[in-house]
Amino acid sequence: MKKPAVIGKNVRKLDALEKAMGTATFTTDISLPGMLYGKVLRSPYPHAKIINIDTGKAEKLPGVEAVVCYKNTPRVKFNTSATSTFTIPPLEPVEDQYIFDSVVRYVGDEVAAVAAVSEKIAEQALKLIEVEYEELPAVFDPLEAMEPGAPDLHGPCRAGKNIPGEKIHLELGDIEKGFAEADEIFEHTFKLPVQKQAQMETQAAVAQVTADGRVTVWSTTQTPHPSRRIIATIFGLPYSKVRVLNPPYIGGGFGVRIGLSAKAEPIAVALAMQAKKPVKVVYSRREDFIASDTRHSGYVTVKTGVKKDGTFTARQMEGILNAGAYCSWSAETPGVLGAMGLSVYRCPNQMYDGHSVYTNTTPAGAMRGFGNPQAMFAIESQIDIIAEKLGIDPLEIRLKNIMQPGDKWVLPYPCRSSGLAECIKKGAAAINWQRRGKFDKTGTKRRGLGVGIGTHVSNAWPFCGDYSNAYVTIQQDGSAHLAAGVPDMGTGTVTTLAQITAEVLGISYEKIGVTFADTESTPFEIGSHASRTCYASGMAVVAAARDAKKQILDYAAEMLEVEAGDLDIENDTVVSTSNPEIKAPLSEVAVQAHLKGRQFIGVGKIIPENAPPWLAHFAEVEVDTETGQVKILKMVAAHDVGKAIHPQIVEGQLHGGLAQGIGYALGEEIKYNDKGRQLNDGFHKYMLPTAVDIPELKAIIVEAEEPSHPYGVKGVGETGLVATAPAIANAIYNAIGVRFFELPITAEKVYRALKE
Amino acid sequence: MAQMILKMILNGKPVERRISPGDTLLDVLRGDLGLSGTKKGCGRGECGACTVIMNGKAVNSCIVPAPRAMNARIETIEGIGTVEKLHPLQETFIHCGAIQCGFCTPGMIMSAKALLDKNSNPTREEIKEAVAGNICRCTGYVKIEEAIMMAAEMIKRERRK
Repeated sequence: MKKPAVIGKNVRKLDALEKAMGTATFTTDISLPGMLYGKVLRSPYPHAKIINIDTGKAEKLPGVEAVVCYKNTPRVKFNTSATSTFTIPPLEPVEDQYIFDSVVRYVGDEVAAVAAVSEKIAEQALKLIEVEYEELPAVFDPLEAMEPGAPDLHGPCRAGKNIPGEKIHLELGDIEKGFAEADEIFEHTFKLPVQKQAQMETQAAVAQVTADGRVTVWSTTQTPHPSRRIIATIFGLPYSKVRVLNPPYIGGGFGVRIGLSAKAEPIAVALAMQAKKPVKVVYSRREDFIASDTRHSGYVTVKTGVKKDGTFTARQMEGILNAGAYCSWSAETPGVLGAMGLSVYRCPNQMYDGHSVYTNTTPAGAMRGFGNPQAMFAIESQIDIIAEKLGIDPLEIRLKNIMQPGDKWVLPYPCRSSGLAECIKKGAAAINWQRRGKFDKTGTKRRGLGVGIGTHVSNAWPFCGDYSNAYVTIQQDGSAHLAAGVPDMGTGTVTTLAQITAEVLGISYEKIGVTFADTESTPFEIGSHASRTCYASGMAVVAAARDAKKQILDYAAEMLEVEAGDLDIENDTVVSTSNPEIKAPLSEVAVQAHLKGRQFIGVGKIIPENAPPWLAHFAEVEVDTETGQVKILKMVAAHDVGKAIHPQIVEGQLHGGLAQGIGYALGEEIKYNDKGRQLNDGFHKYMLPTAVDIPELKAIIVEAEEPSHPYGVKGVGETGLVATAPAIANAIYNAIGVRFFELPITAEKVYRALKE
Repeated sequence: MAQMILKMILNGKPVERRISPGDTLLDVLRGDLGLSGTKKGCGRGECGACTVIMNGKAVNSCIVPAPRAMNARIETIEGIGTVEKLHPLQETFIHCGAIQCGFCTPGMIMSAKALLDKNSNPTREEIKEAVAGNICRCTGYVKIEEAIMMAAEMIKRERRK
């Protein structure tokens, strides 16, 4: 392969200048002529029937131009997540919600919405809507919601009481035989909290409806094409008459808008249709907390059979997750939890059973890691318990058992590459692992070191369908335009895809223009999720650029009177590989073609394979035994990401993931009171890390060769927090000898545990 | 509702705007002044996305009642650099990869600028302290802190010239 000209380099990010200057446009910045402001009335009860709703007074308030509720909006069921777009038969998508319903199922559920000439008037109007509720019994814990006496949130479910979708079952080998062969068996149950994405831009959408019924929605979605499908279906419109796009920037995502931006889009469209004017809906931060998907809380049980020498003979897992009031991604998340949890270590006999359970809490959906951090907190905590019992070093037991390329696992694609051993070794060196066990144990500040490892995916298949398309069009001046439907939520997608385009075409990076995240000007593309954009969207871009390149070379061959196979493009010049004297600037080739009525238009269409990224996280902590305070001194994250197209972007993804992982480990949690109200519905009550909470973070990039991608890329977006929490929990155990089976490990929990 | 005229020096130029008593400084900036670079992340002074500099101090403009800005000197992200001559912080935020989604960036840069305007030789701890009220959910803060350190160096070098 040629030495890369653009990939692997930290080129200037395409979105950075606008963002640094404050001129980048986000959905919340959009203003259109005549635009109205939408506000939403939300349920104060966790479960209730709406006996009567009277919107008359609100409609009469001057400045109010539309009021919508279940009585005057489509009775079409949907799922706010993109899942319904990808669920492949025989599985059926769970479509369990309306824009507005006559039953509310959690505190924050949508009751009605108003559009008015100002936000203030819209808020006043909400107070004039009269609603009579009949309270229904509510349930908040997934285990209780499966009990026979618990209320049914959505009527009978075919998989079991309050279970959305299917139960997931994965199996490899013979689990009974595996446990029979074991010298020791370990079984532990772990409890996981509700974490919030807390992306900086709240859920938002601006909808415009033309007189002839065409709909345009600018929104914060991570998946414009799937979102268009949901919106078109709700309102009964041809997909071709609905345009969904980012404007083009999104203030973060972390999974919270894979599909709709909560319900911002359909509410804005419903209001715009009634008012016949554009409507903007921006969630307040409190709405974003209470009425927008969270990470799944729940319970994970791991049972492991092991030989005295540390070889695993059997591993059985069970995951029971809290779906909240509507399904969203709750049918898929338990599958990823099990599959990722079982795919880190080679073990001949494995079994997983998992599912979600409806409760009267905020819906849980996708959040960075998608079930994997839940799995790995359990597994990696238990691996340390096993290692200690058997008297084996935590690194040794891991290195002995980790998955190797070619090993059998529960996933339907092969494990083709692994840099995990290198990650463990490099990470251990960077954290100075040999100090473990040699810290002073006499004072009130106790130090400890811990490790956690894991894997993830590089796209969404086999958990749901996955494919990508892209166009690359050569312009008459020899520059190239890429059209890809995938958003850039800050992950550097546009930059890396432009790098890939430039690399394939031999055109300067500066000459690549990109249109992204717009259903009207890009072919179907799933969007930004599942750590897939560089891997899967990147593959489509490679295919499109190769197609365009072939057309260029075929044309240039005629022009230069040589064989096309002898030509290549370097530095914006078509050049003969056998005789460098034979060459023509690409601008010349493009304009000649133009004058003869030709343009080079490359189309890329791919169905991706999948590939495992690998990671090893190391934490050094200091626990104050007088206060229970845990201070993280340093974190090292060594990641096999395949080829790093833009190493600085990769590091940024890892740092950001680590910070969220630190929050997950030590502080972030949404709790509910006995009335189903969130106790942590804003930034001052929800303890996410600020700059002062973040220690030195060291990201180490390992580039194992991955054959399933033309440039050897693997996923990286989510991996940064897969094993952060167990690395920290294991370090805390190493420091004070207390094992925590529940996150987050707050100072209060540490203090109580030390007192006992 | 009673209205009043707010006068302030905005990014070096005098401006006058009619305001309603309930308006915050952020409402006025993002409203008909059209300065949408300053972001609204929470509306309660908890996330720092709306940070601007008022009379030399970084403030959360979402909780500053507009009348309090009367006759104040206000600096926003739009006023600190141009494409031809970026502010050192804008330069280093781009260079260091300190920008991901970009929604916290303007507020983060303004908090950092307020620090560097007073202290061009800050320690890492002073930097962390200065941006402790600015939440960034994307970067883990590492590259932001590096960018601020590097901008401080640039500013010192420029002064020596």
